[in-house]
Amino acid sequence: MTKTDKQLQAALQQGHSEAEAGRVPAFDSVWAGAEARIGQRRRRIRAVGGLAAAALIAVVVIGQLRPVEPDWQFIDPNEIAGSTSWTAPSDVLLPTHRFDIYRDIPVLIESTETDGGTLL
Amino acid sequence: MRDSDVLENNPQISRSALEAMHGQVFGWALSRSDFEQVVAEDLVQQAYMELLTGKARFDGRSSLKTFVFSVVQNLSRNRYRRLAARMRLLDRAAPEPGSEVAQPVEPGEHHELWQAVQSLPTRQRDIVELVFCREMTIEEASSVMGVTTGTGRAHYDRAKKALKSRLAYDQDR
Repeated sequence: MTKTDKQLQAALQQGHSEAEAGRVPAFDSVWAGAEARIGQRRRRIRAVGGLAAAALIAVVVIGQLRPVEPDWQFIDPNEIAGSTSWTAPSDVLLPTHRFDIYRDIPVLIESTETDGGTLL
Repeated sequence: MRDSDVLENNPQISRSALEAMHGQVFGWALSRSDFEQVVAEDLVQQAYMELLTGKARFDGRSSLKTFVFSVVQNLSRNRYRRLAARMRLLDRAAPEPGSEVAQPVEPGEHHELWQAVQSLPTRQRDIVELVFCREMTIEEASSVMGVTTGTGRAHYDRAKKALKSRLAYDQDR
């Protein structure tokens, strides 16, 4: 450091010490302020966290209390339409395709007697 | 370093070490805040909060003084960024031509050298303060300012030249 540098340094240090004179608060008060602000911040975080937890619990409770709707099962209309016609797989064994087995009304119960041609 | 003195979230920092450099740190915060004491106190409090909570963690890669000065510098930058954004918003909301923001009174304004230093560009003024008044090396000062040592040295040389020529000019008059 040259002589001029030292003069500069001395002058600047004097300037700064004049500017700062009596303006530096005690370390303890600044430190205490910082600790208090940390406490405030923690309390604020706790309060926000508590509110969030309460909101979450409320949502869960409301969800539990709400009446459960029936579990709807939807029917595919195409499936129903398809079920109205059915081709017997045994058709292939018949003498002709779609051969009508029941040419006559079968007698369901042999012991049943007819009454005027009406099946009882 | 007493065990009880060590910060819980920053084991490499002791309260007594911070107390020992408090004056210097506050002086740095004052110059960061245009010598507004309330703003400087807020900055230093915030810096201590960062150290207490461990948000700013000292790992011993630099000196503690350099580290704490850097924390104050970063907080001050963030603060002025926020302020600048608010000012832009206010200007947009209610532009009042001719309205001027009151400038804080700087102590020692009458001092020629002080005025010469204050007239320097920000980075030159910062490095002059850190090297001459806060007794840091150019390397440490550059680290605080967040620039490379080469850049710091360039700012330092320019600042010294500007100060010398300014003072020589004042003496010649």
